[in-house]
Amino acid sequence: MLRSARQQQQAVATRRTWNLVVFSIGGIALAAKAEEVGGVAPWGDSIPIPSRTPFVESLLIRDKDLLPVYDLASRLQANLRGDVPLCLVIRHPDGPLAIGVDGDIPTLLTLDAGKIGPSRRQDLDTLGSFETDGRQVEILALQRLGRR
Amino acid sequence: MSLRGHIKPVTHAVRPASFLIVRYGTRYCALPSEGVRGVLTREEAGGGPNVVWVGRAYPDVDLAGLLSTTVDDKSSDLRIVLFSHGRSHGAIRVDEVIGLAEVDRNECHPLPPHFRGDERSWVLGTASVGNKHVLILNPEWVLGELGEVVAMVSRRSIG
Repeated sequence: MLRSARQQQQAVATRRTWNLVVFSIGGIALAAKAEEVGGVAPWGDSIPIPSRTPFVESLLIRDKDLLPVYDLASRLQANLRGDVPLCLVIRHPDGPLAIGVDGDIPTLLTLDAGKIGPSRRQDLDTLGSFETDGRQVEILALQRLGRR
Repeated sequence: MSLRGHIKPVTHAVRPASFLIVRYGTRYCALPSEGVRGVLTREEAGGGPNVVWVGRAYPDVDLAGLLSTTVDDKSSDLRIVLFSHGRSHGAIRVDEVIGLAEVDRNECHPLPPHFRGDERSWVLGTASVGNKHVLILNPEWVLGELGEVVAMVSRRSIG
């Protein structure tokens, strides 16, 4: 269930500053709490899995390890941009999870909590949103990806 | 314990799992080797809908379709795997048979818990064979014993 604007505001009010990783998927600016991001790496080969779990349909090969992939780009109906897409590794409660993001290197941003407002998107689990450089950026609740 | 008081080591002999490794394009799959009844060339298999081999009919099984891929009919390494499980039998066309491999059961891993659907009963897990990652397939799914045949495409719904 999507969190209400009031719940989001309560969550935001408990922090003074937020450390965020800002990235994009298909040109859509997004952010995530820095502590929920385990790393960034070039995208690699993946193994398709016959799957009925929405948006979880492949395993990304990282040396000897296989990382499940959450296809957030498909959920956003977007295509990844850049010659070499990147892999954002999420610290997910079920174990590491990879999402593909645009090839632009993600940036770190420390944001005053007062600048974070309610989300404008209803189709994503978010913690809120903020505006930077004239763009509205949604803060994704990465830990809830695929858990509903 | 021996007379000298030494404790004899107890070894828990766990038999490795034995698989036939097959290839579709760049993906590799493992079928439990105890179900493999034969590997034929397309000439040996003939052109009919069933392969009859040693008095038994093996209906065509579209494993490539189950995996949402296709068989490379131009592959010179194309083979037909005759596979049985219980009372079910099937002839499975693959791009290539890589060979038999024994895998330590500790090296076989289930799908990550992020996969929450029926696929957990279709794909038993993954294993590393040489420098390849292979999907360990459930023979019951391969031979249609789970009561459904579903392609993986067009199953998405916004969750």
